[in-house]
Amino acid sequence: MSPVLQGILTIIIGVGGCVGYFYGSNLLLDKVIFPARGANIGRNINRANQVRPWLFLFPAVFALGVYLAYPVVGSFYRSLFDRSGANFIGLGNYVDLFNEGTFRVAVFNNLLWVLVVPALATFFGLLIAQLTDRLRWGNIAKSLIFMPMAISFVGASLIWRFVYSANPDIGIINALRDAMGLAVLDPLQVQFWNNFFLMFILVWIQTGFAMVILSAALRGIPEETIEAAIIDGANPFQVFFKIKVPQIMGTIVVVWTTITILVLKVFDIVYTMTGGNFGTHILPSYMMTYMFRDDGRATAVAFVIMLLVLPVMIWNIRQARAEMR
Amino acid sequence: MDNIAGQNSGGRVAVNITVLVLVLLWLLPTVGLFVSSFRDRDQISNSGWWLAPMAVDLNFRTRVATDGAREEGGVFVLEGNVFADPALAANFPDGAGVVAAYGTRAVAPTEFVAGEVSELRGGGNLVVNRDGSYRIEAPEALDRGPTLYFEARTPPKFTLANYQTVLFADGMDRAFINTLTVTIPATIIPILIAAFAAYALAWMDFPGRGLLIAAVVGLLVVPLQLALVPLLRLHTDIGIGQSFVGIWLAHTGFGLPLAVYLLRNYMAGLPRDIIESARVDGATDFQIFIRIILPLSFPALASFAIFQFLWTWNDLLVAKVFLPSGADTQVMTVKIADDLLGSRGGDWGILATAAFVSIAVPLAVFFTMQRYLVRGLLAGSVK
Amino acid sequence: MKSKFYAGVAALALTAGAAQGQDLIIAPGTDGFNWESFDAFAAAHDFAGETLTITGPWTGADGQMVNNMLAYFAAATGADVRYSGSDSFEQDIVIAVQANSAPNLAVFPQPGLAADMAARGALAPLGAETAQWMVENYAAGQSWVDLGTYAGADGAAEMFGFFYKVDVKSLVWYSPEQFEEAGYDVPETLEDLIALSEQIVADGGTPWCIGLGSGAATGWPATDWVEDMMLRLHAPEVYDAWVSNELAFNSPEVVQAIEMYGQFVRSDGWAQGGPEASATTDFRDSPAGLFQIPPACYMHKQASFIPTFFPEGAEYGADYDFFYFPSSGAGDLGNPVLGAGTVFAITSDSPAARGLIEFFKTPIAHEVWMAQSGFLTPHTGVNLDVFSNESLRAMNEILLNATTFRFDASDLMPGEIGAGAFWTGMVDYTTQGDAQAAADAIQARWQAMR
Repeated sequence: MSPVLQGILTIIIGVGGCVGYFYGSNLLLDKVIFPARGANIGRNINRANQVRPWLFLFPAVFALGVYLAYPVVGSFYRSLFDRSGANFIGLGNYVDLFNEGTFRVAVFNNLLWVLVVPALATFFGLLIAQLTDRLRWGNIAKSLIFMPMAISFVGASLIWRFVYSANPDIGIINALRDAMGLAVLDPLQVQFWNNFFLMFILVWIQTGFAMVILSAALRGIPEETIEAAIIDGANPFQVFFKIKVPQIMGTIVVVWTTITILVLKVFDIVYTMTGGNFGTHILPSYMMTYMFRDDGRATAVAFVIMLLVLPVMIWNIRQARAEMR
Repeated sequence: MDNIAGQNSGGRVAVNITVLVLVLLWLLPTVGLFVSSFRDRDQISNSGWWLAPMAVDLNFRTRVATDGAREEGGVFVLEGNVFADPALAANFPDGAGVVAAYGTRAVAPTEFVAGEVSELRGGGNLVVNRDGSYRIEAPEALDRGPTLYFEARTPPKFTLANYQTVLFADGMDRAFINTLTVTIPATIIPILIAAFAAYALAWMDFPGRGLLIAAVVGLLVVPLQLALVPLLRLHTDIGIGQSFVGIWLAHTGFGLPLAVYLLRNYMAGLPRDIIESARVDGATDFQIFIRIILPLSFPALASFAIFQFLWTWNDLLVAKVFLPSGADTQVMTVKIADDLLGSRGGDWGILATAAFVSIAVPLAVFFTMQRYLVRGLLAGSVK
Repeated sequence: MKSKFYAGVAALALTAGAAQGQDLIIAPGTDGFNWESFDAFAAAHDFAGETLTITGPWTGADGQMVNNMLAYFAAATGADVRYSGSDSFEQDIVIAVQANSAPNLAVFPQPGLAADMAARGALAPLGAETAQWMVENYAAGQSWVDLGTYAGADGAAEMFGFFYKVDVKSLVWYSPEQFEEAGYDVPETLEDLIALSEQIVADGGTPWCIGLGSGAATGWPATDWVEDMMLRLHAPEVYDAWVSNELAFNSPEVVQAIEMYGQFVRSDGWAQGGPEASATTDFRDSPAGLFQIPPACYMHKQASFIPTFFPEGAEYGADYDFFYFPSSGAGDLGNPVLGAGTVFAITSDSPAARGLIEFFKTPIAHEVWMAQSGFLTPHTGVNLDVFSNESLRAMNEILLNATTFRFDASDLMPGEIGAGAFWTGMVDYTTQGDAQAAADAIQARWQAMR
């Protein structure tokens, strides 16, 4: 069989199986187990409706449980053991972490990242989504802003090498400095500020994400509300801040949350650009220095990262509760 | 703000200029990558990509062979042309150029103006003319020709070799198909599963709903690396092993939290009265989901599809762990990393080209999906 | 016997062609190669129908060369050999072993990682016979056996690793043309090298191109410098004690070696661009300065693989050459050589896996790679004439002239140190210049491991 055919066949089986489950199980529930006819019609419909959420949820809950929850629980257990995995040391790994200077630097840097990257990416994403909304070449503009999203992290770090490199024949920043007669300097070795230079890379990538989601949300706003505001004499800024932003607040929270969480996961940028040198470690890259060597330490770092996410989780649950009322 | 009736044209110009500036700012680094994908490794390391389209003055070296030496009135004469050196053919393909200056030592490659006669170390005279022809006169036969250095203007040079390497590498077509075999189901399956779950979490009432939403947000942050080893072991134990099924399941699991989270939030924002009126009309949840929710959620489904596709397309780690390493299951990212780049990682030209080639398909997906990020699906529904 | 063998070879060459999809790059019978060893091996082993899976760090052109070599094993035994190279081998093998999906053999670029795997019980011991063979047939055989001997899961030390393919690291690359034009001589002693560097600076040039950049592994080239300095300042026993941390990383001996490296990278005008640029310049780009006109630097210290990253068309002998990173003229430390190598270990036992280890004992297994490129070997039974070029021969000579051979210390240290703290510590030292502080930090990290 040709590879193309094989590929198509596997795709059909995979996707078909999935569609089949939802269609078949609902059919089964409505027609066979609790049929909406006969003597018990009322009771049957009620029962079917009690079961149905779980029918809808089952594949997702199952996959989340197996692919994420199970490894998390296993990992937490692992984080209580030493590097060989044989000796139980309680919270020893966590205590050691907090005693280490690099870890504290990584936590501090990570807090900076969590504050700066989601804010900037959401801001630029919203700005671009709004400005391009009715622009004739808006779709082209959006595609160009979106492009960094499509580039792999390895490609992205190569791109930024052409920007940041200390060699004026490679890095454009130093080429400009050179042309202006300034001394060549390595942006990635400028203490403290080098963190921001690395953050720009992620902002550059993630603005496309924010833009796509927010642009979909902006287009979901009913036209009537905007027209009404304009008839009432609102100026463009008032329309934007008083009518549009409140209506898409939920989406802004989503975008902000997603990027915050991404910041807590992406190690590639720091890892490939500086390897954590010059005081640029963040928690995910710091975790990678232990990963596959001392699993106890690595998993302990992972749980510290998950602790950092708690406030974001709580904020989201509140938001969800508020919506439901 | 463009979408306001009765706005002035100044506002429109301002918007256009702002967007243009932002786009250029975002594009600039990528242009560097694009230009570099047409250059070879040496060029990338030696001059900035912004200089690539310009003719530049470069220094060259040529080693003069003594073969053609002849005796002329007591002196040994050696004549030739510096551009005839086959080692320089890549820079001067037609064997011609203009010499601006020349020298006999690498530390001073432009010591003499072209046409000026200079003294040769060890005795004798040397002249290199603008057209590259040189004449060496030495009192004794030279046992070894001197090395000449000269400065010449070289036209911009671009090569398609990188693209040839990446696109026509042995087995790249197979890798492309493998990548699609991984990405398409790994994009569609989580969307389907997540859409149903998101609907249940947004519009169905059942105990434990809040807890589940919290769990989804919490699971968003799980680092992938934690899950790899236990899952591969699980796959091996239950007989899936390393296979396409395994990688679909893995991508599905890893992509689900974001999918459920995004879709639930979007669906929860849909107007309540549509759904309730449908319920009053006797529609079941399954019917409501298929006929109302799904079409209305197109923008959210499309945006998630874009991201999940991107993530699976560019993924290297999951593919390496969950797929066997043979050529018949290799995906493009693995192929590029392991076969094209070679040990110790780096051919910048290939890297740039690979990065560029691999964004073509995701961009096409983005363009296709962008049509679904449409306005007005909800128009008229809210009064 | 003989006729049986030839029939066998013909048949096997056919099956191998089908299985590997490639031909034997050197036709059996070619002059200079030890075909008797191949014939004898083929006659004694038959693994038809068996599949042998191998993973290793060689990709791209290197991966092609290992496949070329394995094709001979396939031709001799009929086994279906599948090698897959990975850029992230170190990570992949750990995952594969933990998930019980290990290949038959793994090729470790660092003995430290192999020792880790052995301690987890993931490797099968090779047996006393193989160890004995290596003592007898490898130059400095006992040291290779020692490097391949680790404590197993039960704590007992056994030989798990078979060294095959060696690199020499104590090399300095230069342009003979530039040396000649400037009137410099290849230095014979470390003192001469320092004097030459000073001379170049006095003449207005830059003696060294140094680049530590390597993405996540940034800093590793500096560890080679420090290791070479250790061997030139102290006895090999001190080096061994340092590797095992019996000698603390922050003891005066080590700090002295770090500062000695510092003299080259941190002295005014010695390294192109100064220490800051050296710390981030990619190691693949750093030798480019040798080939610029005018030259940006005169010397570059790097292992034997670096010509891969020289500009296209650069020729050995004309454009570049190398000399042994010289030892000190004073003292009696001889000519120490720093090297590295790859070690084969059985991660999933099978007769074919054992067979491959047997194959590596034959000279032909070494010669077919020697005739390609980038391969040095301590096997004493090979014909050195089959080396594909003069530079490899010259390197092998450096290996043979060594009075002391020591393995790359960072590859022997635990991963957190040798592939972590040591790297970042050297980057810190290169940019900040406090050797004691850098050494203290590395030692602290070592002590924090448990």
